[in-house]
Amino acid sequence: MFITFALITLLGALGMLLQKNVVVAGLCMVAAFFGVAGLFVLLANPVAAALQIIVYTGAIMVLVLFVIMMLNSHQEEEAQASHPVQRWLSLALLAVLALGGVKLVMGSAGLKALAEKGSTMPQAMTLEKVGTALFADHLLGFEVAGLVLLAAMIGAVALTKRNL
Amino acid sequence: MTGMDAILHGGLQGYLVVALLLFFLGLATVLLRRTLLMQFMGVELMLNAANVALLAFARFRGGDAQAMVFYLFIIAVAACEAAVGLALIIGLYRHRDTTDSDRAASLKQ
Repeated sequence: MFITFALITLLGALGMLLQKNVVVAGLCMVAAFFGVAGLFVLLANPVAAALQIIVYTGAIMVLVLFVIMMLNSHQEEEAQASHPVQRWLSLALLAVLALGGVKLVMGSAGLKALAEKGSTMPQAMTLEKVGTALFADHLLGFEVAGLVLLAAMIGAVALTKRNL
Repeated sequence: MTGMDAILHGGLQGYLVVALLLFFLGLATVLLRRTLLMQFMGVELMLNAANVALLAFARFRGGDAQAMVFYLFIIAVAACEAAVGLALIIGLYRHRDTTDSDRAASLKQ
């Protein structure tokens, strides 16, 4: 099960990176988000999986697809100047960093010990537990998050509206 | 579970490797694609990779509810970033008639 969802996630992300058409790239990203939601279910966290689907594939991707269609820029524009050296350099740097990171994760003794210690499946996350933790310990953060969302909403309207 | 077994059957290291590769695919999208909308989607992918790592650690520490609270905050910030970022892209398109980041490299018109 894990490898299936991991492959859906990574192939969706790879398809997004390689796809020329922006709408198709957006749909590849939806596939990647669904894969991530599947991984959250396997992590005994159905609340996070539901939120992932509602917020990312539901809200954010619909917003992105609306903007893509509104701007009518389905294809990537012609490059003004090609930067082959920079592109290959960044690709090489990314490959080195990714390989180094994977090697670090696989070779870490601390992570291995943590994986052994938590190998028994914990009880599934419930909304009740999340709500208790949120409102008992992080009430101020919750309120601030609401304020930030309001500020972002007002900012988005102010930025897009021609004459207020 | 060690080595390849962890990757194939979902040990902690398997989830972390998936999060790492997802992050670097998002970073590659930001660095290699020129369309601003694609770069924006790459940023969303990187945020998601961070979430996968966070919740993987939470599960292997015995189902910590604090991680879910931070996941909620990350999602709230991602939603704000989506709204403001897309508004900026629309504003840029109105002024310059382009969504190519190379064509919008200077602040002056």
